[in-house]
Amino acid sequence: MSIKVRTVERKGRTFLEQLYLVEVIKGMTVTLGHFFRNLLDNSRLYVRHYPEVEPEITARWRGRHRLTRHEDGSVKCVACFMCQTNCPSNCIMIEAGERHDGRSEKMPTRFDIDLLECIYCGYCVEACPMDAIRMDTGIYSVTSYSRDSMVLGLEELLETPGAFDEEEYKKGGG
Amino acid sequence: MAEMVKLFVNGQEVEVESGKNLIDALKVVGIEIPHFCYHPALGADGNCRMCLVGIEDGRPPLVPACKTPAQEGMKVQLDAEHIKKIQRDVLEFELINHPVDCPVCDQAGECALQDYYMSYSLDDSRMRVEQVTKGKKIDFGSGVVHDQERCVLCGRCVRFTRQITHTGELGIVNRTDAARVSIFPGKPLNNRYALNIVDICPVGAMTSSDFRFKQRVWFLQKDPGICHGCSKGCSIYIDHHREKYKDDVIYRFRARTNLKVNGYFICDFGRLSYAAENENRQTTATADGSAIGFDEAIELVRERLDRARKPLMLVSPDLSLEQMWAVKRIATLYGADLSGYSDSYVIDGDGDDYLINDDKAANRKGLELLDIDSSKEQFISTLQYTDLLVNFNNDLFYSGVDEELKAQLDKTQSIAVCSHQLPVFESATIALPTASYSEYGGTIVNEDYVLQRFDKALFKNEDPRDVLEITRLLGGAIIDAPHAWPGIRQSVADLADIDPETIPAEGLNLQNSEDTNVGA
Repeated sequence: MSIKVRTVERKGRTFLEQLYLVEVIKGMTVTLGHFFRNLLDNSRLYVRHYPEVEPEITARWRGRHRLTRHEDGSVKCVACFMCQTNCPSNCIMIEAGERHDGRSEKMPTRFDIDLLECIYCGYCVEACPMDAIRMDTGIYSVTSYSRDSMVLGLEELLETPGAFDEEEYKKGGG
Repeated sequence: MAEMVKLFVNGQEVEVESGKNLIDALKVVGIEIPHFCYHPALGADGNCRMCLVGIEDGRPPLVPACKTPAQEGMKVQLDAEHIKKIQRDVLEFELINHPVDCPVCDQAGECALQDYYMSYSLDDSRMRVEQVTKGKKIDFGSGVVHDQERCVLCGRCVRFTRQITHTGELGIVNRTDAARVSIFPGKPLNNRYALNIVDICPVGAMTSSDFRFKQRVWFLQKDPGICHGCSKGCSIYIDHHREKYKDDVIYRFRARTNLKVNGYFICDFGRLSYAAENENRQTTATADGSAIGFDEAIELVRERLDRARKPLMLVSPDLSLEQMWAVKRIATLYGADLSGYSDSYVIDGDGDDYLINDDKAANRKGLELLDIDSSKEQFISTLQYTDLLVNFNNDLFYSGVDEELKAQLDKTQSIAVCSHQLPVFESATIALPTASYSEYGGTIVNEDYVLQRFDKALFKNEDPRDVLEITRLLGGAIIDAPHAWPGIRQSVADLADIDPETIPAEGLNLQNSEDTNVGA
């Protein structure tokens, strides 16, 4: 098959156009038209009024992580390190210890996620055999004034509640 | 060389050693036969039935590979349908009551059951009845934790205590799904090799309380090394890992098979000696108790050495041959006396007739080969008149503080080149941090004159300089370990034709003739 050649007709070669000034004025008319129209009535803007109006987050959105608990309040995580093993950005740091609540033998004593290194791919959620780590907090704005506070510990991860009810989360493919 | 025989595996001809059983013989040529109960050190038991292979035209046609010697012309079937079915069925039996503990099991990643399930089965469980639950986390003593549910009853641990340690603490009680490995009531494991049970257990039924939950095994980097716990010089694996934002640390030592030195096992003391490599380390150079820069400290040491009238250099019997040689050279350079006095490393009556030695020095034979005087008389008499003692990591108080010697040391101005913060180095005015044995490479000679080479395993964030490097900075001519060898070869007759690069992995016997150097 040979390559098809199509000659495109070039525009903008007339005298008026080559003067530029006329075209500049034409362009500015459009710009200023929009400017004054929006200035007088901004209700028709196609822009989200963030942060005054927050976006709607669906259950499938991968927000900031959290660690879940069983119904009796015990930590679901068994420190199997699957999330850490699967993490492509290597941002999860776990230390395991003995567990005494009868659920299993093992639980995390330290569970740190470095949010600055996290790429929010959700592989940790997929890898988890216990459904212990989820990204359903609905938190999309992760900001801080210091690097240290961007490393979340076990307590913070356990504290954050999920933003969706169970059914909605499951429907989202969780 | 042993006699070779030709046989067929899945129709393909292979040449293997005769006399060995099929598992061992075929392993050499890279063919794996799954097995649980067989272990080369413990012999064939034939109870797990995992290694059943077909012999075409054989009588009987199905044999356990662990009990079948390789024979000429044998036609072994490994991938025949009926063999695959046997493997699947055996695994299904093993897994009937096996808990899905893999996420919390320390063995996961190096578990025979897990690996075989992935390679030979992948079937879903057909069991619709409740699993039999058994005891978990049972302390067997000596740091061994037993999980009855994970056990496949291969009996390796039982045979280990009967055949290797001859202590017989373990046994299998009851039958069928009530069978459990157990200790006798009130009689826990009590031998100095007990943690080998953790190594030989093919599944996660035996775990070490020391390593329990410390790290997942797939994160560990496994480098070969030599244990410096005693003069046996057992071959080990140094399992280490650098966690994010942290330093490279050792998590455990494991036995490395070396039939010439330690066989398949190591003692618990050596196994747990990894902890000393991580703790209590001298990390900064100090002078008169305050931290100074390393280069500054080296300058100070050089200055003191130049000024000293009659310096004395003391080497540790743990140093490698190359390091000892380098120290010997700079001793000549500075006109210093040299001593290898290390009587404290000998703990009389501590050894046994298996692997543990009285002498806790890893390279005492090296001291002898390099002709370094290690007599007490020479050291004490030299210490009387010396005005500067340079101690190259020799723990004179290994077996307790010797008050008489301590008083003498306190009187002498001394410089310590030390890897650890030990009481013996407290009197030193200048302390230089140095690498410990997992952080440098070299060669050592064990008590049976087996010369072994080991490589640097750990790479610390701030890599400590090893003794050889420090001697170079003090003006020595030897720049690294290979450069020490021309000198060693020239002056030591026994090492005259040794090339450290060609020392085999299991070591080289310096004393005996060729026949002992042939691998077993």
